Amino acid sequence: MSNATVSRLLERRSPFFSGYEWVTLALVLATFAVPFLTVNPQIMSQTNLILIAATAALGVYIMLRMDLMSFAVPSFMAIGGYTVAILSIRLGITDVFVLAAAAFIVPALLAIPLGWLILRLKGVYFVLVTFVLTEIVQLLLFEAAPLTGGANGLVGMPAVKIFGFELWDNSHVLLTTAGLAFTGFLITAIFTRRYRYEFAAIEKNDVLAESLGLACWKYKALAFAVAAGVSGLAGFALVNMLMTAHPTSFAPMSSVNYITYTIVGGKASILGTLVGAILLVSATDYFALSGELSPGLYGLLIIVVTLVAKGGVIGMLTKTVQRLRGRNGGGLTNPKPALAEGKS
Amino acid sequence: MDGANLTRGDALRVESISKAFGGLKVFHDVNFTMPAGGLLGVIGPNGAGKTTMINIISGRLPPSSGRVMLGDTRVDSQPVYSNAGRGLVRSFQQTATFNDNSIEDNLLSAIRFSGKDRSVLERLAVLLEKFGLVENWRRDANLLPYGLQKMLGLTMALATEPRMLLLDEPAAGLEKSERGNIDDYIAFAQTEFNCGVLLVEHDMDLIKRLCPQVIVLDGGKLIAEGAPGEVLARKDVIDAYLGGSDEEDDHAQHS
Repeated sequence: MSNATVSRLLERRSPFFSGYEWVTLALVLATFAVPFLTVNPQIMSQTNLILIAATAALGVYIMLRMDLMSFAVPSFMAIGGYTVAILSIRLGITDVFVLAAAAFIVPALLAIPLGWLILRLKGVYFVLVTFVLTEIVQLLLFEAAPLTGGANGLVGMPAVKIFGFELWDNSHVLLTTAGLAFTGFLITAIFTRRYRYEFAAIEKNDVLAESLGLACWKYKALAFAVAAGVSGLAGFALVNMLMTAHPTSFAPMSSVNYITYTIVGGKASILGTLVGAILLVSATDYFALSGELSPGLYGLLIIVVTLVAKGGVIGMLTKTVQRLRGRNGGGLTNPKPALAEGKS
Repeated sequence: MDGANLTRGDALRVESISKAFGGLKVFHDVNFTMPAGGLLGVIGPNGAGKTTMINIISGRLPPSSGRVMLGDTRVDSQPVYSNAGRGLVRSFQQTATFNDNSIEDNLLSAIRFSGKDRSVLERLAVLLEKFGLVENWRRDANLLPYGLQKMLGLTMALATEPRMLLLDEPAAGLEKSERGNIDDYIAFAQTEFNCGVLLVEHDMDLIKRLCPQVIVLDGGKLIAEGAPGEVLARKDVIDAYLGGSDEEDDHAQHS
């Protein structure tokens, strides 16, 4: 009797991807169409910037699954970006697949020893050390001139190639970015959903998780490496757009932007990261019209969103939808709100 | 359960454990052995170091000297998750669950982290129904009444199919009417899982009811061991209970 009850309770399995992942991947995929729909350079450039910003912010999103706020994104973007610049300028490697693999793998590998050092820290100490890391990387980029070109950066990158075809004009650059962004989003979606129980447990109660047999450090280290790899893809997209790898593209303060996209969009779902990037990159562009007032307006927007919507834009929308449906279950099509949304 | 199974597994031996935090000596030369599949009560006034003992056995705190053996394996100073993998699993004095996650997800997490199979839930079905966990299956753990959260935490420990359970005051905070659940839980752990149980508890009725053997900790020493009836009648044990300070807290516990 009771065995039957428990089996019946377990019948309803949660889907691998929640609605948030599907919507997010569809939106990123849709940007491949932009170069075919418009020749407007403004729209293409905006789309490019949004995709790069969103992909970079995924590094923050991944680490926030375990309640770790990482400022390290620009460091790993720089490592990915400079890897690509050095490979293409110095060694003449221009195949987009080889470069993308290098942009992911090199930062991910470097993240492992770094993670060993800093992942034992929690809370504000982790935040501080990741911020210091961006400063150190910045310094190294300037000082290691023979490798990085120092203050001049690495200029004159050749166009990347796909199956021998050169991706050289504006629309091609956008397609390259869209491909890198989609790869980054797909990796993040699969990774965070595959280990959602582990990440949720580390976030909520790591002492309990260990007492049940979970080796928390392994998952933290793995997440740090994957976050670094995805940031590296964003770094590739950025240097490819600028045709230059320069230290200022990876300024330590830019890490604040990536964190802001994730929080304002809603840190509980991957869709939040994308929506945050869309809103804030567009807002930056729009406010730029107001000249000197621009930083103030941008700051005001962030304050308003964090005050009005604690779960970010997506958190607020999800709550509204749930209220309209008059029940406390599922956001979008997900029957397991707890694991899909985490805490707000 | 047949007789052969009841003696399966390994004995837990605590050998000359001493522990000091800076100048504060918590334990001095504590020794005891718990037979495989056995049930040993650990009592002592607040501050006697009972939770610290569980922390040392489970690997969370290294002892200053001495060692803890599970069969032939040294378990002190080993990572907590490795010991859990060996079947040495602890519970927490306060409620300890994954908040904002349903009962189902909490139990599935325990099963997943210990590398076990979902079929464990079928073995646990009787307990899950008895404790009222089934009827709240999809409610978030932190929204459950205290007693139910406590039973969920204990059931999660059992979902890892442990060989040796370290229970830190399982009855603390439970209503009188709920305490029978602890009797059922321990009996189930022993018969269904052939599991040894180290029971730290303040509820003397529970100790007398369940434990054939108890040890008494006080002032960092093991001051008595034997059947609960005789031990609790001893004058030094009674005196020990008349003094005392607050028990140390544990980070995993949230009130």
